[in-house]
Amino acid sequence: MLKQYPTIRFILMRAGWYFMTFLVAVTINFYLPRLGKNNPVDIIMGKAGSGLSSEDARQKEEKYLQEFGLVKVKDGEIVRNAEGKPVMASKLEQFGNYIKMCFMGDLGTSFQTYPKKVLDVIKEAVPWTIALQLPTILFGWIVGNVLGALAAYRRGVFDKVFFPFALILSAFPFFVFGMLLVYIFAVLFPWFPAMGGYATNLEIAPSLAFLSSAAYHYILPFFSIFLILAGGQAIGMRSMGIYELGTDYIRYAKSLGLKEGKVLMYLFRNAMLPQITGLALSLGTMIGGALITEMIFSYPGLGMAMLTAIQNSDYPMIQGCTLIITVSVLIANFTVDILIGFLDPRVKAGLQMGKGA
Amino acid sequence: MAIFEVDKLSLHYLTRFGQKIHAVTDVSFSMEQGEILGIAGESGCGKSTLVNGLMGLFIPPLYPTSGDVRVGGESLMGRTPEDVRASVLSRKVSMIPQGAFNALNPTRKVKDIAADVMAAHLKGVDKKQIYERLKDRFDLFGMDTKRVLNSHPIQLTAGERQRSVIGISTLLNPQMVIADEPTSALDVTTQKVVIKMIFDLLEKGIFSTMIFITHELPLLRHVANNIAIMYAGEIVEKGTAEQVVFDPRHPYTKALMGAMLSAEPGQKHRKPTAIEGAPPNLANAITGCRFAERCPSVCAECKQKKQEIRIVGERQVRCDYAK
Amino acid sequence: MKLLKNLLKSPMFVIGALLFLSTLLIALLGPVFYKVTMERVGAQYGAPTAQFLLGLDDLGRDYVSLLLRGLRSSLFVGLLAGVIATTIGTLVGIYGGFRGGVVDDVLNMLTNLFVVIPSFVVLILISASFKEGRSLTLIGVIIGMTTWTWSARAVRAQSAALKSKDHISLAKLNGDSTLRVLLVHILPYIFSYVFMVFILQVSSGILSEAAISMIGLGPLDTVSLGTILNQAKNTGALGDGIWWAFIPATVVITLLVFALYLINTSMEGVFNPRLRK
Repeated sequence: MLKQYPTIRFILMRAGWYFMTFLVAVTINFYLPRLGKNNPVDIIMGKAGSGLSSEDARQKEEKYLQEFGLVKVKDGEIVRNAEGKPVMASKLEQFGNYIKMCFMGDLGTSFQTYPKKVLDVIKEAVPWTIALQLPTILFGWIVGNVLGALAAYRRGVFDKVFFPFALILSAFPFFVFGMLLVYIFAVLFPWFPAMGGYATNLEIAPSLAFLSSAAYHYILPFFSIFLILAGGQAIGMRSMGIYELGTDYIRYAKSLGLKEGKVLMYLFRNAMLPQITGLALSLGTMIGGALITEMIFSYPGLGMAMLTAIQNSDYPMIQGCTLIITVSVLIANFTVDILIGFLDPRVKAGLQMGKGA
Repeated sequence: MAIFEVDKLSLHYLTRFGQKIHAVTDVSFSMEQGEILGIAGESGCGKSTLVNGLMGLFIPPLYPTSGDVRVGGESLMGRTPEDVRASVLSRKVSMIPQGAFNALNPTRKVKDIAADVMAAHLKGVDKKQIYERLKDRFDLFGMDTKRVLNSHPIQLTAGERQRSVIGISTLLNPQMVIADEPTSALDVTTQKVVIKMIFDLLEKGIFSTMIFITHELPLLRHVANNIAIMYAGEIVEKGTAEQVVFDPRHPYTKALMGAMLSAEPGQKHRKPTAIEGAPPNLANAITGCRFAERCPSVCAECKQKKQEIRIVGERQVRCDYAK
Repeated sequence: MKLLKNLLKSPMFVIGALLFLSTLLIALLGPVFYKVTMERVGAQYGAPTAQFLLGLDDLGRDYVSLLLRGLRSSLFVGLLAGVIATTIGTLVGIYGGFRGGVVDDVLNMLTNLFVVIPSFVVLILISASFKEGRSLTLIGVIIGMTTWTWSARAVRAQSAALKSKDHISLAKLNGDSTLRVLLVHILPYIFSYVFMVFILQVSSGILSEAAISMIGLGPLDTVSLGTILNQAKNTGALGDGIWWAFIPATVVITLLVFALYLINTSMEGVFNPRLRK
């Protein structure tokens, strides 16, 4: 199939694989909240069955029953039995309802901020998270790799100073580093704000006051993620660089009398590939760590939204956040995967020989 | 006049714990224009290390201990890597590595690797000229030039890769080529194709002088004028191909011949005999003859006394007792 | 043995191992020499005194006691998660890598799937689901069961590389059972890698527990380093600059992780000789 278009074939195969992963993730998101004793779904079902007095409360409960896909629905109306009580759906039907809602982009209604939709809350939070995480991860990756490669190639004094520094940085847990930065640079020396994404007396608007306040609040969370990330990447790149230095192709390139810059380019380019693969593999962990950093700084992104949801047992919200996070990690991974396919001919060739995934 | 001279060259590796491993010791020889010298020995005897030393490629942890290598009368030692790179490598001396798959940068197309070599040595040629010259050169090799040049190494067969490597190594018509086991990773048919290609290039005058390194002695008999045998970092015997193969004098060369399977007539019933024991650990200081522990004609004296090269039967032998 | 000798030559390994052993000793023997109490002994966030060296927490409890208890919890959860994750990962990896074929493809796909789906998301979902009975042990088990994919990947690569070695083929020709080949002929060769993976899993277990506790989904039955930090954040101690509420806990957790990290990095250096230069 599509033998003559290896690139398109490669992209389609990866897309297919990620779609399958997405389905698994959705299944997990459906199943796990139904796992424990007295789990959130049971709680909702119990409440709905307890014969509520006020009409208002009854409507609210039934809305959740419908949103969680717990009852049979026909033409947008809940199917009722002779007594007017909703008819419960089977597990399989519940799953079907859930998948249908996911694909329609309906993540339900928040408990906490009723009747606000989960998707609307997430829509407000996501831009903050993207603004914080995308540049931090990209920039941290690039800076870390360049420094690591230099340390590998130069060795000597630069390496001796740089290596232990990077080693210590990369060993810091995200949240520990975040807390220390808050304590040192916001409490001990109050140079930066300790929390929030902007000064609370400002409206979110494209005004100079808002933007400068946002930038000011950005600095600490940025560095708390960036430094750790760059340290870890630098350590990895240094190892890869040293490994690649001893390979046959570097020896051959040198024996041919290629210029030093060219040999360095060979080295960087190839040492970079496992680093990109590593990025793909650890994106989930990185994003998770960064989300916790958001919580520490009370940054108005997804991490904070999830923390609030957890504190208030707002299950629709928790479930919505986890789904969105999973989907973003999958999309980011897919992008990196395709990128590797273009940068490393071995990946595509391997796929053509029938070694998928 | 010799175009390439090696004078008492010794090389060592430096380990992390500051230990020196003397991989090559006291190697001397010289090459005349048009000469083909074969160097043979077991794996681990220092052949590949010697190749690095001969090209002035001291990639840590390899360091020169003493001695000299002179190309066209000019020493490689004490010159900056940039100077050696620009004036010697690829133009005067070039290497054909073993294992072409690992030698070619996996993420670069063959034509780009070749173009990098030209760009590193030729001034004022543009990309178009470079690719034209490449195509002309690769057309000589009887391959599907266009496809091979436009492929990444992984898309080629083992034979195509090895031939591409030979093509790249000889692009600038080097005076001398050092072939470091160019056929050892190949199947027999491909080996033949590659050997034929090397000799075609010799015939066409693309290069004239060659050091051919291998662990297969029978092959050397067919391709080399002179043969040197290496053992534990030293050359133990050096003579003409006929001398070394048919009338070896050093006990190690004799043992090596005994260990070879041969397809010669009259050899059918002869059983190959393995050489007992293992080479000495080169991290230790060795006072006596390095082969003493495994030598069938060992005596008390040669365990103690370092053996020097001497002339026996018109060839060099590193054994005081060889006749 | 030779390996251990080489490892002991590496200062990084020695420092890491000593550091880790001392935290282990403090966690085990600390309560013998220090009277650990979970009772209220003074005012909310009372400052450090000669009697209570690291001050008091939100509920007026002694921080030294809390830290000793928390350290023990963190070590327990890390080791539990590490053992579970390494066992599952090693079994999946070694079997898949050795068997190859369809079995390997399926196991490999499963592994890759769960590498991509972030484990902390799964962790949050499960923890949120267990509103009652969310014990330290349960959290350790969950962490172990969601993070094994790393071990599986690492072990699979090693075991696949070994598969084609002569002595393995010979054992197979001899008619040795798959289990025997795996246990007798493969496991000993990759044992050092499995150990390295275990170290990493322990460290990631400790961090995962701390992270999940930080966001309020920690164990309900005991104190851990993560719950201490969660309290410091929730009660505003961080913003108020009450340093004893979070600095000691962050230091302990960082030392713990750093010790494991040193051990792992130094072992990598010994196994990958090119890094040694």
